[in-house]
Amino acid sequence: MIQLEEITKSYTLGKEAVNVLRGISLQIKSGEFVAIMGPSGSGKSTLMNIIGCLDRPTTGSYFLNEEDVSQHKDHELAKVRNQSIGFVFQQFQLLPRLTALKNVELPMVYAGASKQEREERARDALAKVGLQDRVGHLPNELSGGQKQRVAIARALVNDPSLILADEPTGALDTATSVAIMDLFVQLNQEGTTIVVVTHEPEVAEYASRVIYVRDGLLGQNPLEKGGQTS
Amino acid sequence: MSLWENIKMALMSVKAHKMRSILTMLGIIIGVAAVIVVVAIGQGGEAMLKSQIAGDGNTIEVFYQPSEEEMQQGKWEENPFTQEDIRQLEGIEKVSNVVASSSEFSTARLREEETETSITGINEAYLDVNQLKVEKGRSFTSADFLGGRRVAIVSAAMQEELFEGKSPIGEIIRIGVQPVEVIGVLEKPTGLFAFGSVETYIPWTAMRNMLGTSNYSQVTLQVENADDIQPIGERATTVLNQLHDTDDSYQVINMEEIAQGIGQVTTIMTTIIGSIAGISLLVGGIGVMNIMLVSVTERTREIGIRKSLGATRQQILLQFLVESIILTLIGGIIGIILGAGTAYLVSFFADWPSLISWQVVLGAVLFSMLIGVAFGLLPANKASRLDPIDSLRYE
Repeated sequence: MIQLEEITKSYTLGKEAVNVLRGISLQIKSGEFVAIMGPSGSGKSTLMNIIGCLDRPTTGSYFLNEEDVSQHKDHELAKVRNQSIGFVFQQFQLLPRLTALKNVELPMVYAGASKQEREERARDALAKVGLQDRVGHLPNELSGGQKQRVAIARALVNDPSLILADEPTGALDTATSVAIMDLFVQLNQEGTTIVVVTHEPEVAEYASRVIYVRDGLLGQNPLEKGGQTS
Repeated sequence: MSLWENIKMALMSVKAHKMRSILTMLGIIIGVAAVIVVVAIGQGGEAMLKSQIAGDGNTIEVFYQPSEEEMQQGKWEENPFTQEDIRQLEGIEKVSNVVASSSEFSTARLREEETETSITGINEAYLDVNQLKVEKGRSFTSADFLGGRRVAIVSAAMQEELFEGKSPIGEIIRIGVQPVEVIGVLEKPTGLFAFGSVETYIPWTAMRNMLGTSNYSQVTLQVENADDIQPIGERATTVLNQLHDTDDSYQVINMEEIAQGIGQVTTIMTTIIGSIAGISLLVGGIGVMNIMLVSVTERTREIGIRKSLGATRQQILLQFLVESIILTLIGGIIGIILGAGTAYLVSFFADWPSLISWQVVLGAVLFSMLIGVAFGLLPANKASRLDPIDSLRYE
């Protein structure tokens, strides 16, 4: 479903070119639960932005659902984000002035769904994450875990083929983190492909496969390797 | 995403920052209100001047002004309008009344008192068309005109002069040596350019009998429709010049030209003052742009979130553009209400008519929307170009 071929990404900072990604090829199949790990500065955020169609690679090609999106124009990428990808962020990224329901409706607003359909599907999505009795609440009336559930409901609501989560438990306590990760597992069991970017091994443990990024390249699990050698 | 969706969103955002929105709108409100007031007062003044110069707009006076050549040929006449002329004029299509009169100065006596007065011999249409109302006593009847009865209606000033304020009804006054019975007193004139003068009106037929006046000296036409005034006036002069075998002795003043002249002057004045007021609209527009730019920066994260959820650049652009249009539109509408109210107050207290035309109101609404577009484009464009990744990280 996701196929990256020799993806590179470089920025120019002043006169110097910085190669953040230096040739990454990987495949993620439909229905997988993948964790992307790596230390800060490794390029895992850039990789996530490219997978999430928020950014384009400098070279290489990216096939999402058999479609080459690496050369897409801005509005085409916006459509891919809207239809095929659901984002979950560390800081939840809810609009503070909208109720939980309206926040979940947003992706459908940009998809052009009717008001009635939007409300129906948003309620369903909120029910799925266990927030059916919080639909009318504003984000600041919700706990961290509840906010992240709203964000997950919003990610789900357009029925994307991929949910992309960037440090989804980074702002949550341990118990809540477990609950949120359980929710991802449940969604994955129902067939949604999930990619989680994290630096926490505890989070990565929920994934069926872990991809390590180091210095802009894919690497092996440093913990396992380190454990074997020493 | 529908436009209605955008409008609802924009209204929500305006409501969320009430104080800021009102302050932003203030520039637009003041600008629009100022333009509305200036134009309303200007147009009202123009209408007032025009109506005062052209009367109520449906009468036109015919002048007799022979050329020097004709004067030398001795063609000049003191009373240039004959009864036949009047009949011919009355026959012109769309002429509703022909007002004819002849006047001269004379001495009026009541016992030992005497005063100078203008004696005006009038035809039946005169009082009505000139809107002279009889306040006391009675007006003339058709029989008075037909029979040349020696009855008079005097002005309020005349009542003061000769009768020392006492009721003159039924009194016999002498004009020259001829006795005339006073049957009515006119209402005191009101209005900006009206002054009470000492006047006595008698039927023209009576004047002919008493003083030997053969013709009329003044003729005014009243037409059915104010728009026809000029062509009918021209037609009347043609008829009269033909009847008298004169070139151009009978003339009408071209009211259109005078009205146009006045219109030009007031239009220039209104434009000058209006454009000064318009500058405040411009300043108001810059205020809107300023706030929208601040708003874009402040809502960088919101823009990032919306983009990550699939909003295209056009959708973000439209969102901010609609928001600035809504701001200026609401400001414009409040400005119109405020301006209309002020114009009303001015005309109420300064006794100056104001005229708020729908064109000005529509223009103000469209112009404030235009300002919204013009000054909203820059911020909206800035918002739409924000990078989603950077915006999401923005604190």
